[in-house]
Amino acid sequence: MSAMRTWQVSDARESATLNSPAPGSAKPGSIKPVMPLTDHKPLSNLFRLAMRLLWRDWQSGELRLLFFALVMAVTSVTGIALFTDRLEKALLLESANMLAADRVLGSGRQPPEAILLEAQARGLRTATTLSFVSMAFSASGNMLVAAKAVSNEYPLRGEIIVTKQAFTRGVPVLNGPPPGEVWLESRALPALGIEVGDSVFVGEAELRVGNIIIAEPDRQQGGMADNAGPRLMLNMADVDATNVVQLGSRVSYRYLFASDAAAPLDEFEQWVGANYEDQYRLRNVRDESAEISDALNKAESFLLLGSLFAVLLAGVAIALTAKRYSERHFDYVAILKTLGCTSSQISFIYLSVQVVLGTIAIIVGSILGWIVHQGILQLLSSILLVELPPAGYQPFVIGSLTAIICLLAFALPPLLALRETPPLRVLRKDIGQQKFSANLPYAFGIFGAILLVFWYSQDFVLTTVLVVAVAGIAVLLSVVSWLLLHSSGSVGMKAGSAWKLAMTAARRRRKQNILQVMVFSVTIMSLLILTLLRTDLIDDWQAQLPENTPNHFMMNISQSQIAGIENFFAEKGIVGNTFFPLISARVTTVNGSQPDPQEALGSDAEGGSLTEGGSSLDEEADPANATPDADGEAIAATDARTEVADATQENAAGEGNAVGGRLSRRQVTWAENVPADNLITAGTWWGQDSQPGYVSIEQEYADWLDLEIGDQLEFEVNQQTISAEVSSFRSVRWDNMQPNFFIIFSPGTIDHLGATFLSTVLMEREQKIFLNDLVRQFPTIVVFEIDALIEQIQTIIAQVTSAIELISVLVLVCGGLVLLSCVNATLDERFHENAILRTLGAGKKLILTSLFIEFASIGAIAGVIATLGAEGSLYYLQEQVFEQDFNFHYWVWLAGPMLGMLIIAGLGVYSTRQVVSISPLNVLRRVV
Amino acid sequence: MIKTENLLKRVNTSEGVLTILNQVSLQIKPGEAVAIVGASGSGKSTLLGLMAGLDSATSGDVFLSGHSLAAMDEEQRAILRGQLVGFVFQSFQLLPSLTALENVMLPIELKGDPQAHAKARQLLERVGLDQRWHHYPNQLSGGEQQRVAIARAFATEAKILFADEPTGNLDTATGAKVIDLLFALNHEFATTLVLVTHDERLAEKCNRIIKLVAGEIVSDERNEDVASV
Repeated sequence: MSAMRTWQVSDARESATLNSPAPGSAKPGSIKPVMPLTDHKPLSNLFRLAMRLLWRDWQSGELRLLFFALVMAVTSVTGIALFTDRLEKALLLESANMLAADRVLGSGRQPPEAILLEAQARGLRTATTLSFVSMAFSASGNMLVAAKAVSNEYPLRGEIIVTKQAFTRGVPVLNGPPPGEVWLESRALPALGIEVGDSVFVGEAELRVGNIIIAEPDRQQGGMADNAGPRLMLNMADVDATNVVQLGSRVSYRYLFASDAAAPLDEFEQWVGANYEDQYRLRNVRDESAEISDALNKAESFLLLGSLFAVLLAGVAIALTAKRYSERHFDYVAILKTLGCTSSQISFIYLSVQVVLGTIAIIVGSILGWIVHQGILQLLSSILLVELPPAGYQPFVIGSLTAIICLLAFALPPLLALRETPPLRVLRKDIGQQKFSANLPYAFGIFGAILLVFWYSQDFVLTTVLVVAVAGIAVLLSVVSWLLLHSSGSVGMKAGSAWKLAMTAARRRRKQNILQVMVFSVTIMSLLILTLLRTDLIDDWQAQLPENTPNHFMMNISQSQIAGIENFFAEKGIVGNTFFPLISARVTTVNGSQPDPQEALGSDAEGGSLTEGGSSLDEEADPANATPDADGEAIAATDARTEVADATQENAAGEGNAVGGRLSRRQVTWAENVPADNLITAGTWWGQDSQPGYVSIEQEYADWLDLEIGDQLEFEVNQQTISAEVSSFRSVRWDNMQPNFFIIFSPGTIDHLGATFLSTVLMEREQKIFLNDLVRQFPTIVVFEIDALIEQIQTIIAQVTSAIELISVLVLVCGGLVLLSCVNATLDERFHENAILRTLGAGKKLILTSLFIEFASIGAIAGVIATLGAEGSLYYLQEQVFEQDFNFHYWVWLAGPMLGMLIIAGLGVYSTRQVVSISPLNVLRRVV
Repeated sequence: MIKTENLLKRVNTSEGVLTILNQVSLQIKPGEAVAIVGASGSGKSTLLGLMAGLDSATSGDVFLSGHSLAAMDEEQRAILRGQLVGFVFQSFQLLPSLTALENVMLPIELKGDPQAHAKARQLLERVGLDQRWHHYPNQLSGGEQQRVAIARAFATEAKILFADEPTGNLDTATGAKVIDLLFALNHEFATTLVLVTHDERLAEKCNRIIKLVAGEIVSDERNEDVASV
């Protein structure tokens, strides 16, 4: 203070000039010696300056990459969110249509009416159905039909499509037949020799044919009884008159529930769980169809993973472009500071730029997201069976929030760090930002990435695993890239000038290059993971239900009927039936002792579309096995599931467990060759020169019984005891909708004990009429029609496959943006160096070749690391998340590094090509 | 107008602590035109940076119009620069994304003056660039860019003008024209001028010449041929 006072006294004249505003008029005057320090810059002026900056930087292209990265993030997230939101709603609706309700309670015995009354009291809509197999008689014929009695409210979801002319298109109706009427499927009319308006007898009741059913919503959900023949639908009120359903009859009761609000359904579900624990359980479509549930779950996981990758990659692109943008603005800020801008005003300017840019990106991204999702829907319109419900606002909120998080985490920190730029930079270019500020963006970026992962996954464990994994990979990558780049010098010295130049450059920029290798590696790794996962998932689904999957099962075929059935189909031009012998058997001893099963069987075996798993249990659980399927315990996929569910309700012991100290009966077979989709996991298959006395056991079943290869098993088969040695264990693909067996004997072991046969056949829709002739010609066989179910599953798989393809494309675009941003990040330095080289006389070829080699080396290193990371991540994802078997992708080990090399070299040389096409002086001017 | 007291600037290098300025004390009166000369590395640009408040000293203080820079943080120094100081740099330091006119308008606008456009046009006319106001820096020659920088320096009627080698990037003829312009405007605006230069002929135009050697003032001479404004 004393110094200031001395100064004021000693230099009175200086203050005189301070308030001389007009040029040329500055003369000494009497004013206060020390002017007050006030800042008069209006915010509007700063904002105007910010907007001018934004516009000019946009014109010069500096902001474009940042903007596109932001738009990409919003577009992919909004598009995916819109698509999944609407698809999820549509699938739920479609699923509800599959059940004819939102929730279903099914049982082999009539559930208490109190459940219905409780549901009605809670405001739910209810309906009841009763399925059973019966004979329908007319004046000119009779046939086995899948009868279904429905209450007046049926169906609660979906419509019944009916017509008056068999095999024509129908019109939808909202309710089933009124009392006194039956509705029949087309195929039944010619078989019975009747038309609409004629009468048929069901049991003792004579009913008039009112309509022909073309489609009904829950055609496949009633269990075995629904697949045993063409549908005959009657009103619930007529059931008593038929006198068909007696105590002990094999029937399937279903209570249907629906509500427009989710909460009452959930509360009612809890109420049923609390009051009827272990007896009844409400089910939705995911419980009903393991295949659909599995496809949906995997698709959701993939979409989640895809959108996560898309956002994270876009985030990296944003971070890189924002960092470069901020680096190019160091001088700008230094000049503004010399002109009197304070740090907070600098922050205001760049914050304004970000807010405006972010707002525009959100608007553009939301619009593009909408267009993208409309595009997908357009693509899928032919397979989307239901009208999609309108999208909510949530996807737009999610997209906007993503942009804001990306900006806050990835873009804003480097831009706000600009405030730390020292003004002295106007005099000394070598002065940069302070260390703390320079590293701050990384911390924010990492925090933002973690936040995004957690927000999308809502899974703390997954987030932790991912964070730890990425941190580990980053450390590993740093070490590996450092070592590789460090050693490049000795290689380069031997390989000619362009090579030497490239390697020297790579070594000189080691720090940036390691960062680039890391970014490239992670990007290529993400793309590889997604591409491989997508390919494996789709292959897996296609393998599960290939084009020619048989869609009809025929049971109860005797040995003598096989040739006749083969001829029958051959005459109709339908080929490809295979015959599986079937016989009922039970394991009685293991190495001479009572079997000692472990806990319940795994979910695959329990819920999968196995041929015999559930039926044998059903036999145990439901001794009143007096249904027309005779000993046809080998049943088709849906039946197995339903029967299992029914049995679960009736027998809390659960599927596959020992009952009353005895193991369940199983439908077993014998075979010379390993069935398709079965893999030997231990031991050996008997092969062509097989001997009797061997048995192959499904792996999970073997684990359950704690079996080992070489164990001696005794079976009770048709009241005889058979011994066999365990020669192999097999894994079985339960979801392939084909006959599958827990137990397969070697030929000659049980052949003499009298088996029936099961056959499968693929029949197109227009060929189904032949079923009438088949049943007429071979009256003892039972046909199960699962074509509708297979079609439904194939449709849903096609839908999710398309969604997955689209996500992959979006992530690819994001990955491309990252690569471009990363190449651009070191462009200035490369431009400058190569411009100097050119002034010193280096030729175009030398520079371009050395650039190519430098980028190609970085790309190849990144490719190797990416492949390593991708295979490691895929192992975890496929084994833990997607429940697939992991296989090494040998071709990727060559393709990964090659792709990395070509893409990075291509992008690098393309971006820097100007260095040789414009004059060195211009290059130097441009970057100095 | 400007006073330095025992100004010391040391920096840490890999070879130890390097003293760039050693106890420099000087005083510059309003209206003076002072040339700071010396060989490369003598500390003249560092001295200019410290006096303009672009950098802070290791010890000692700078007073600008009575304000102790040592007592201020960077925010306050920025405000002071905005109100008091203009700059002309060797490398011009124009904002590349703004036109010549916008570069001149910038400091006026930052002050909140609604007449920014008119004043900037007037100044560009004064430096002979009224026809090229809409050109961007990379479309102008070095001499033209420096003239825009001079117009910008005077745009806010700064009381002190710091010039760092203003002709360093220009050829002799262009440099001479730019210098004539700088001194003419300096006279018109009655500005205190502090000029760092190698160029002896340029230094001769100032009414005071301070010579630095190894961070210390070795001579401080008045040039009687040139009067203060």
